[in-house]
Amino acid sequence: MNTRRNRFVVTVTVVVMAVIAAACGGGSSSSSGGSSASGKPLVIGISLSQSGDFSDPGHAAMLGYQLWADSVNKRGGVLGRKVVLKIVDDASDPNQAVTNYQTLITKDKVDLVFGPFSTLLTAPSARVASRYGYSFLEPAGGGQLVFDQKLHNVFFVQPAPTVNCGDPFVDYLSTLPASQRPKTAAYPTLDDPFATPIVERARAKLEALGVKTVYSQVYPAETADMTPIVAKMVAAKPDLIFGGTQSLDAYGIVNGLVQQHYNPKFLFLSNGANSAAEFPDKVGANNTEGILSCTDWFPELKTAGNAQFVSEYLAKYGGTADTIDGGSAEAYAVGQVLEQEAKKTGKVDNATIISTLHSGVWPTVEGNLSWDQYGAPTGSQLMTQWQSGKLVPVWPQATALAAPTSPKPPWGG
Amino acid sequence: MHLIVQAAILGLLTGGVYALMASGLTLAFGVMRVINVAQGAMIVAGAYVSYTMFTQLQIDPFVSIVIMAPAAFVVGVAVQLVFLRPLRSDEREELSLLVTWAIALGIEGILGIFYQTTLRATRPSYVNDSLTLFGYDVSVVRLAAFAASCVILVLLYLMLQHTRFGRAIRATVQNPTAASLLGVESNRVAAYGFGISVATATAAGAVFGMITPFNAGSHYDLISRLLTIIVLGGMGSLGGAVIAALFMGMSEAILAVEMSPTWASLWFFVILVLVLLIRPQGLLGTPERGKL
Repeated sequence: MNTRRNRFVVTVTVVVMAVIAAACGGGSSSSSGGSSASGKPLVIGISLSQSGDFSDPGHAAMLGYQLWADSVNKRGGVLGRKVVLKIVDDASDPNQAVTNYQTLITKDKVDLVFGPFSTLLTAPSARVASRYGYSFLEPAGGGQLVFDQKLHNVFFVQPAPTVNCGDPFVDYLSTLPASQRPKTAAYPTLDDPFATPIVERARAKLEALGVKTVYSQVYPAETADMTPIVAKMVAAKPDLIFGGTQSLDAYGIVNGLVQQHYNPKFLFLSNGANSAAEFPDKVGANNTEGILSCTDWFPELKTAGNAQFVSEYLAKYGGTADTIDGGSAEAYAVGQVLEQEAKKTGKVDNATIISTLHSGVWPTVEGNLSWDQYGAPTGSQLMTQWQSGKLVPVWPQATALAAPTSPKPPWGG
Repeated sequence: MHLIVQAAILGLLTGGVYALMASGLTLAFGVMRVINVAQGAMIVAGAYVSYTMFTQLQIDPFVSIVIMAPAAFVVGVAVQLVFLRPLRSDEREELSLLVTWAIALGIEGILGIFYQTTLRATRPSYVNDSLTLFGYDVSVVRLAAFAASCVILVLLYLMLQHTRFGRAIRATVQNPTAASLLGVESNRVAAYGFGISVATATAAGAVFGMITPFNAGSHYDLISRLLTIIVLGGMGSLGGAVIAALFMGMSEAILAVEMSPTWASLWFFVILVLVLLIRPQGLLGTPERGKL
């Protein structure tokens, strides 16, 4: 009996160890760059998700950070100091991210810190950085939660806060003749801290434009099947469907509409439809035409250093321009801001960074950025549209690479 | 009324797929008193294998079921021999939770290494085709998935009712000691039973991958639904699992259009609590043991 029991205990122990090894694959720490013989290296600590739910976007951010570090080091570093990145894994866990920044600042005594991926991790991490007087340039924490903390050390390195996603779409509609605007709108909305505020803001603006709401529904994140929601929405026959979505529900809405043979005049999805690599795969490439969304970066944008970023990225990592994750560009832009700040002030200390970046305009691959007192960027998001099988920025006109088209063509067209 | 009927059709088709997913789970409990919380992960693994066969070898997902199921049966037997058989019989239910949870995490970790967390979807050319029957839209894939689920469940039922092995399984479920005394090799029955359970999971996975995009973490949501279904239907009862799955699919869809999607999820759990209070053994379960 004892032998059997021991065998069982050994088996379970082996399984548990195997699971831990599998789940934690990827290691916990990495660094990029190298120390310079001519000066003290500039060590920048970053917590990134290398495992867990955010491991893909976390990896994309890591590629961007490392690309910038390599690039700046080739140019002689920041004020002659070689950049060394100390990247640690937070396993997509906010508590681990907080612990990581605490360790990076107090134990490792890094010179600077850059932000992690997602609002969920950025908000508590920014508070840690603020407590120790560290600046917090961050690429991916654009939710209101971050700015509501009213921290002065935060700078969200994208053109606009996430909540403004629908603004360029409403702006575009307002330029159309009344006869071409949608008369009615449906608002399927994921119960999510990112999606819901986007819809609330856009809906208020659209109703002010005279667009009547005929359907509005918040659905929980665990909704496994979107087809009943789509069925009810279709029954209301809206001209416009403005979805506050993430990815799974965005795919579910499009597939449900195709299966139920309903083609709205306008279809805007706040997230999910803005991934050139993912979206056609999940809904069928011939069903993407005319669908609108929002984003912050494109490989073809004529922004500061963008062509160089794209060519460096492809040289280092391979692939094609349209497969570059926007998260890499966002992280690269963080480095660009730091580089410019150092060049302008001749210093790279946290106090100088914080005091300097609250004024002026900072050109990056993400566009010309500026921030309010709590780190919210003051620019505009880009409205994107699927045209001829490609995702292109279509609004605002100043940065657009094509003109938006409406109404949406039939499915499969 | 049109909307309610449309929702009921959608829900019925979805419920059919859940019935297939839950059948293996209830079978494993009925035969071995193993609460296999790795069932969701096994379904997701099946979805990945089917996805890979479709994208790399252009094998239709429904055809992939025929290839995957026998292989999954062998894997299931091996898993039962290595991980589940050593469990002490007097603590099997509790220990099986721990062991199968470790298996679930192991599967998730391995899938994560090979496929990352990117969502995948198996999309044959007909994936968004739909028929209009009497004014109601019916997705071809969901209809085919429902039909496949029905065929597999009927085969499972016939096997349990009309074969010597099926009788051995039912005997083991009802009274393992008496079954052993009458010459049923309970160890072999348990291993084969678990093999069948894993085979149905991978078959359900092939269907699941066409209905919704998935990643390695999708099993958490799946297993919570499946456990609820088999508790509602009666632990160990195949018929109960089917009825509970169809009820869940239809009630969620109808409530989603008539009230709200939030109430749809909540309602199911309200029914579950009521059933457990009034009839703790579930709809078709028996108080003592499972009944297939």
